[in-house]
Amino acid sequence: MRAVAGSLHGLVGLAPIAGLVLAWQVLLTAGWVPSALLPSPGAVLARTVASLGDPAFLGHLASTLYRLAAGFAIALAIVFALGLAGATSRIADAALRPVIRVLAPIPKIALYPALILSLGFDDAPKIILVAADALFPILLATYGGAGAVEQKLLWSARAAGTSRAGTILKVVLPATLPSILTGSRIALVVACIVVFLAEMITSTDGLGYLLVRSGRAFQTVDMFVPLLAISAVGLALDGALAAARRVLLRGFPEEE
Amino acid sequence: MSEALSAPLAGRGAPAVPHPGPPMIGMAGVTKTFKRRDGGTHLALDTIDLDVAPGEFVSILGPSGCGKSTLLYIVGGFVAPSGGKVTVSGDPVTGPGPDRGPVFQEFALFPWKTVLGNVAYGLREGGLSRRDAEARAGELIERVGLKGYERFYPQALSGGMKQRVAIARTLAYGPKILLMDEPFGALDAHTRIKLQNQLLELWERDRKTVLFVTHAVDEAVFLSDRVAVMSRQPGRIKEVVAIDLPRPRHRDELLLDRRYQRHVIDLERMIEDPPDLAS
Repeated sequence: MRAVAGSLHGLVGLAPIAGLVLAWQVLLTAGWVPSALLPSPGAVLARTVASLGDPAFLGHLASTLYRLAAGFAIALAIVFALGLAGATSRIADAALRPVIRVLAPIPKIALYPALILSLGFDDAPKIILVAADALFPILLATYGGAGAVEQKLLWSARAAGTSRAGTILKVVLPATLPSILTGSRIALVVACIVVFLAEMITSTDGLGYLLVRSGRAFQTVDMFVPLLAISAVGLALDGALAAARRVLLRGFPEEE
Repeated sequence: MSEALSAPLAGRGAPAVPHPGPPMIGMAGVTKTFKRRDGGTHLALDTIDLDVAPGEFVSILGPSGCGKSTLLYIVGGFVAPSGGKVTVSGDPVTGPGPDRGPVFQEFALFPWKTVLGNVAYGLREGGLSRRDAEARAGELIERVGLKGYERFYPQALSGGMKQRVAIARTLAYGPKILLMDEPFGALDAHTRIKLQNQLLELWERDRKTVLFVTHAVDEAVFLSDRVAVMSRQPGRIKEVVAIDLPRPRHRDELLLDRRYQRHVIDLERMIEDPPDLAS
């Protein structure tokens, strides 16, 4: 029963996507958009599948994935360090909260020119940008979660012999994990967008670069391949995160 | 205390069972004030004096908002008193410690740990190896009747099962004192009775000192050696009543026992007394 309901759910979810593709095709078939400007969905899909056998394309894909992963890892490390500092010391907490609020709304992409000037055209500025953009959604969610840890969980641990400092790793961290993962999921989407943008602005490789290069060469089919690819990357990483969530949060109530 | 009031029962206001040495729990002049939003202060607990003897089961009975849970948290070392002193075996309480094991109404189980992991937690913190801790935890899980549920996560369990896990988790690290904060308050009537019986069985076996907070009169009478009745605003101990019922106690016998009925009626009257509105 549940399996049937589940697959029904999946079908319902697929319908709007199929609708979009259909609308795309209708635009072309009706002749409203010239096919020189907008390639057909079939052509894009076929080219994308063909690209998967192309070492050059896979190299670009790998570059983007590397920047995403490195930036994300740095963001998580910073969240961990700041979270630990904020949980350990009231002064650190009081100092950190305002600065995070002030920095969070700044569009990080605006820092990109400055990053290029100081770090060059390599991976470094792109990774830093991904880290800066992924950082805040995770950080804000983590702060929210850490502030809402049930006091009696802390008391239970303290009574069982855990030191005050010990509760940070043994209670606050695991209790905050759901919030950290929720923040990570949002950050992942932001990271996919920003890595692509950064590669479009200045790069010699990566999916974003591929799009710009194809655009300049008026290769419209190739222009859409990186978009399909980054969408697939986002979907796959989100799926991986959801799987990690199911394992890590086995004991927590479901959250859909 | 006020012997001048009608005293249908002998033993009302009786002191703790005589014993040599300091009381297991000593509360002397304990007060607690909270700051109110408007800048004023609210006196939650007003000079509480109460001693609990080793091996004694004492309930604190009172209406909600009388500060009975706050008093328990102060004994647990989770909350600092505004005045007065709390001692355990004569030593002043400065913070939480494994000599005093709490059991909360909300269970407060670690949702990321299995039943086994929860019960083994205090043993691991006490320095036991994983193997030894889990072996010992397994015994306790069996003792509270949850054998076979070791690998379950708390969220998959019913309220009564969760509270049994919480009791096992606390018993695991061998506290001298159990601090129970309305532990059966969130359970349905049937489960509550079952757990009361089970708690009594456990207690009659190893006679730990228990401080038990409740607002249920029948529960207090059924379980306790003495019942401290609290009044509200400010929280004060109105009366301490000794429950002179033989042990081991059995619910079916007690319900027919005149003395049990008398205690329930008297205590109910005591909590129902309207607060002094002398203004």
